[in-house]
Amino acid sequence: MKIFSKVMLILIFLFLIFISVFEEVVTSNALSQVHNICFILEEKVEGLEDIRKSEFILIVDNMEYDWLKNESKMCYLVNHKSIQEIGAEIAKMKNYLGENDIKEFKASLEAIKFYSESYLHFMGANFHNIF
Amino acid sequence: MLTIIIRSIIIYLVVLFVFRIMGKRQLGQMQPFELVLTLIIADLATIPMAEISVPVLHGIIPLFTLVLLHFLLTILSKISSRFGYFISGKPVIIINPKGIDCKALKALNLSIDDLFEAMRGVGYFSLDQIQYAIMETNGKVSILPKSKFSPVTNGDINNKADETSLPVNLISEGKILKDNLEIAKVDEKFVLDFLKNQANNNKLKDVLVMTIDKSGKVIIQMRKGESKVFENVRDSL
Repeated sequence: MKIFSKVMLILIFLFLIFISVFEEVVTSNALSQVHNICFILEEKVEGLEDIRKSEFILIVDNMEYDWLKNESKMCYLVNHKSIQEIGAEIAKMKNYLGENDIKEFKASLEAIKFYSESYLHFMGANFHNIF
Repeated sequence: MLTIIIRSIIIYLVVLFVFRIMGKRQLGQMQPFELVLTLIIADLATIPMAEISVPVLHGIIPLFTLVLLHFLLTILSKISSRFGYFISGKPVIIINPKGIDCKALKALNLSIDDLFEAMRGVGYFSLDQIQYAIMETNGKVSILPKSKFSPVTNGDINNKADETSLPVNLISEGKILKDNLEIAKVDEKFVLDFLKNQANNNKLKDVLVMTIDKSGKVIIQMRKGESKVFENVRDSL
């Protein structure tokens, strides 16, 4: 085997390891982050009748900012269609905050939690996904 | 559209790179596992090309994984000839001096029509022209004609000659092919003694290929250097 091929094979091997680790770290961090924020928001809005507070607006804005940042990284690794629902739900949440629609706001939180949990399961290397 | 064009260029370059490092074998010379690999690569490459939502990496990562797997199988095939035979198969003699080997044909799932088609493909139209026909692992049939049907035949010049015999590989890439020793009716000691006494004390690992035929003619090719021919080796050892 030529030196060129040997070097290329080593580089490919390292690249595959890097991509696998990068994907695991980026996707699990991004999805866990959005999942945790949803839990925090859910606790905070529990029992409230008016959610039009600057604190919530700030949390949702930050969540959207972080998600968009992570989403752009994840787009290199996962099918874009698979992760676009979370971004859409965050956008809806901003409207529900303005309209004080607690029911829909909570529904969006639940949807994001569901999507992030499913994606975490779907994207990890486990027995179900492999087979 | 521009995205698809750029993606197509990227995928094309990656596939080209993959085939480049895999070697220069042509389609007809492929071993079974190489053919499988080529078919999968062709299919994988098209997915991220047309589907924009699928990352280009989804096409590249399987390609690279397959390349690594290919080299792993190649290395394992070189380390273990048994594994090599398992992956690529073994050349099979389908016609011998006694005639067509029906068992071999059945094992290869070949019909008589297939056999004749392959024979005609290499320029032989009659069974009596053929001394040996071998089905190679890449699916091609190699034919050793009877001496009188060789391109410049002894029959043409009315020269009486011994029937040609099939040279048997004794060493391939520094490894003694133990299965072939029995066919050539020699043992490992014969090979090692030959290397020690007649072939300039060459080491086994330095031998690229060594063949012997029925008359005792040995052809040896070292990894470095020209090939050498030794006549009547069986008598001298």
